[in-house]
Amino acid sequence: MSVETRRNFGTVRLPAGFNGLLPALVLIVLFFVIPVLALLLRSVTEPEPGLQNYAALLGDGTYARVFFNTFLVASVVTIVTVLVAFPVAWMLAIMPSALASIVFGVIILSMWTNLLTRTYAWMVLLQRTGVINRTLIAAGVIDQPLPLINNLTGVTIGMVYIMLPFMILPLVGTLRAIDPMTLRAAALCGASPFQAFRRILLPLSLPGIAAGGLMVFVMSLGYFVTPALLGGTSNMMLAEMIAQMIQSLLNWGLGSAAAFILLVVTMALYALQLRLVGARRMSGGI
Amino acid sequence: MLLDYDRMGWLKIALLGFTALVAGFLLLPVVFIVLLSFGSSRWLAFPPPGWTLKWYQELFADPAWLDAALTSARIATMTAILAVAIGLLASFALVRGQFAGREILRGLLLTPMVLPVVVFAIAIYAFFLRLGLGGTTIGFVIAHTVLALPFAIIPVATALEGFDKSIEDAAIVCGASPLEARLRITLPSIRIGIFSAAIFSFLASWDEVVVAIFMASPSLQTLPVKIWGSLRSDLSPVIAAASSLLVGLTLALMVVTALLQRKLRT
Amino acid sequence: MTQPFLSIRNLRKAFGAITAVHDVTLDIPRGEFLTFLGPSGSGKSTTLYAIAGFQDPSSGDVLLEGKSLLAVPSHKRNIGMVFQRYTLFPHLTVAENVAFPLRVRRRPEAEVKKKVADMLALVRLESFATRLPGALSGGQQQRVALARALAYDPPILLMDEPLSALDKKLREEIQAEIRRIHRETGVTILYVTHDQEEALHLSDRIALFRDGRIEQTGSGEDLYLRPATDFVAGFIGNSNFLAAEHLDTSDGTATIRLADGSVISGVRANGTFGRGEKTRLMIRPEAFGMERSPASAELNVEIVDVAFYGERRRIVARTAAGEGVDIRPTSAAMQSQDASPCSRQVFFDPAAAFLFPA
Repeated sequence: MSVETRRNFGTVRLPAGFNGLLPALVLIVLFFVIPVLALLLRSVTEPEPGLQNYAALLGDGTYARVFFNTFLVASVVTIVTVLVAFPVAWMLAIMPSALASIVFGVIILSMWTNLLTRTYAWMVLLQRTGVINRTLIAAGVIDQPLPLINNLTGVTIGMVYIMLPFMILPLVGTLRAIDPMTLRAAALCGASPFQAFRRILLPLSLPGIAAGGLMVFVMSLGYFVTPALLGGTSNMMLAEMIAQMIQSLLNWGLGSAAAFILLVVTMALYALQLRLVGARRMSGGI
Repeated sequence: MLLDYDRMGWLKIALLGFTALVAGFLLLPVVFIVLLSFGSSRWLAFPPPGWTLKWYQELFADPAWLDAALTSARIATMTAILAVAIGLLASFALVRGQFAGREILRGLLLTPMVLPVVVFAIAIYAFFLRLGLGGTTIGFVIAHTVLALPFAIIPVATALEGFDKSIEDAAIVCGASPLEARLRITLPSIRIGIFSAAIFSFLASWDEVVVAIFMASPSLQTLPVKIWGSLRSDLSPVIAAASSLLVGLTLALMVVTALLQRKLRT
Repeated sequence: MTQPFLSIRNLRKAFGAITAVHDVTLDIPRGEFLTFLGPSGSGKSTTLYAIAGFQDPSSGDVLLEGKSLLAVPSHKRNIGMVFQRYTLFPHLTVAENVAFPLRVRRRPEAEVKKKVADMLALVRLESFATRLPGALSGGQQQRVALARALAYDPPILLMDEPLSALDKKLREEIQAEIRRIHRETGVTILYVTHDQEEALHLSDRIALFRDGRIEQTGSGEDLYLRPATDFVAGFIGNSNFLAAEHLDTSDGTATIRLADGSVISGVRANGTFGRGEKTRLMIRPEAFGMERSPASAELNVEIVDVAFYGERRRIVARTAAGEGVDIRPTSAAMQSQDASPCSRQVFFDPAAAFLFPA
């Protein structure tokens, strides 16, 4: 039967049209689109009309540092997450299902555990007198406790921990979709395992890596909780700065302008991601 | 033969070792926090000098914790119900509907999932201040439903896409009205998706910190706000006790999910 | 004049610029097993959907006992249907699936129980009543779908390529089931398939579809032995087409000259042709014999290859003019040592050869 007949099948009898979207659209337009647009408006009207908030944000060295830090942290987190996630996803894609379900269980447990709970655990683990420093000192690896918290190291560990499931799970899907035959064929063609990895496996999984990596990068850019708790004052990230501008300084104009810059960057990367994988695939990849 | 599990030799050993290491890394904070909550050291020394239940006693002695938990449960339940209901209707339209701009609308409805929460948090905070909804239960539920909606739509839409429309047509030929066919045949067939949608939207609200920090008022605090406040003042082991209970809740949720999925599948 | 049971009148269905069904008119008597046969995209499924009410025709009408069905929504047409894919309700047991149409009709529980038992007995799946569809094989699922479609005694049963997802052996088994059930219930069946063998086995009558029109309607024998057009001849069974020059026609039989110069008379003319007009002669591979008989015409061929196909042999041959000829004599009619490449004569009854326009 043709695609066309299939499509017309239900629409004639059931008004399976637009109506069902109305409640969702009302909710999103009224309580998402309008508030965000109102915020944008505030960024060019407060304290007075004009672009001075943006000029201040982009012209000032302190703010530039925050932007730089944000991109640095997001980049480092993304790279580390990809490097750690790939081998795990690779194994998960091919290991016996009984074993895989244990690993999946651990991943889900970590993912579903309350965000603050996980961050709290890292705060305790990473502190000067925390388990990690004590263990390392007891083992004789170091003499002085390492500064693991309130700096870039702490943020990276905490963020990679949170982002790993978001990278591993979609990547397993990508790797499972690769036909093992292609790699057997590569071996018969004379490719060494390293060549087969570099020329076949890696290129075939690249779309998944790019999509997942971009998602992790976007999520990291706007992350608030973990950097606020594990990061230091000297390497503040954008989301924390926005929250501070609004909550402590009550500077709505500057805060909204910073929020809008974050929004534009995020949405641009999101659009790139959609082009890479398509909205349909995205939504299937939870 | 890099995708043949049985023929990878030493590479398999190395990669399995690495996987075990990562699994350990993922498990570490969760296990650690539970052990810590039973430790007797107020200064979170580990391994603890002794074992105790006093942090749990302290936790239950403070009505603010229970209050916050109940508030969170109430808001998350309402959010889950609303998000699933709205998401169900929207999913049918997105999957079955024939109208221009369907993909764009799908993208719009999923945007709250990708937009940094802090942006939405200050936007809705300002908006609700004006409407007088700041710090109210209804304000919380609306804001959380916006954030939860993508998590409700995605599993339902995925399930609906995997459901053969011919089965619904078969029910209609059998004499069921289109509405009856949907209620009696289609909805039960995609129940795993609906169930996942409920869990995900519940968690989206239950774990939500950022909007909650802005919206909370002294009289209305959710559990994450309470934990956040405590974290900022000190790393008291009472938080470990509260966290352990949350881990227990997650485990319970996972077990229920696994059991239900097994039951629904057969 | 008696009123036809089911009547399709000048049905037309267009999707935008594409017309899937041009002009289909057909009367179906009660109790008939009628098959819509045709290649994919020929409009047979679209016609079926118009009867089921899944698609509104652009023009034309569908009448059941003289009353138009078009204004009746699908769920009130009281029609049974078995789909191409397995459409059992996955969360309901076999018995609950069969009971579903009765439940939505609010029939009393005792009647539902009895009917479900009867239907499962009809498709011989009594012992599977409490299973879920997922635990059934494809063939069993389609039998349950059949039971479900018949549970409410619909006057018409529509079947949309119900066996296409099954393997050959299973298909033949269920074809026999369907024939038996048609005999036992007397239900009118409209069956869609693109498989000519299936159509020939099952149907009382076949409507052969081509490009949104019915090319020929008739029994399987009619279509095979008396094809109205070369499309029918080509679609049903196997056929050889040889270029021929028309010399003369009288009483519906024609005299022609083949490309190798041989003149043959007594072939059946499908249409009227002028003297010297280029035509094509259709001969079924099975119509060739290896022995001369009084009425037979002869054809000189060069045998290229012989293959053994069980009950028949298949000979790949060539005429002197270089046209390929497919010949399938019974295995008994020819010794295997004849298989060596050679030139020889083969014979056919001119009455079993048809002349078509070129």
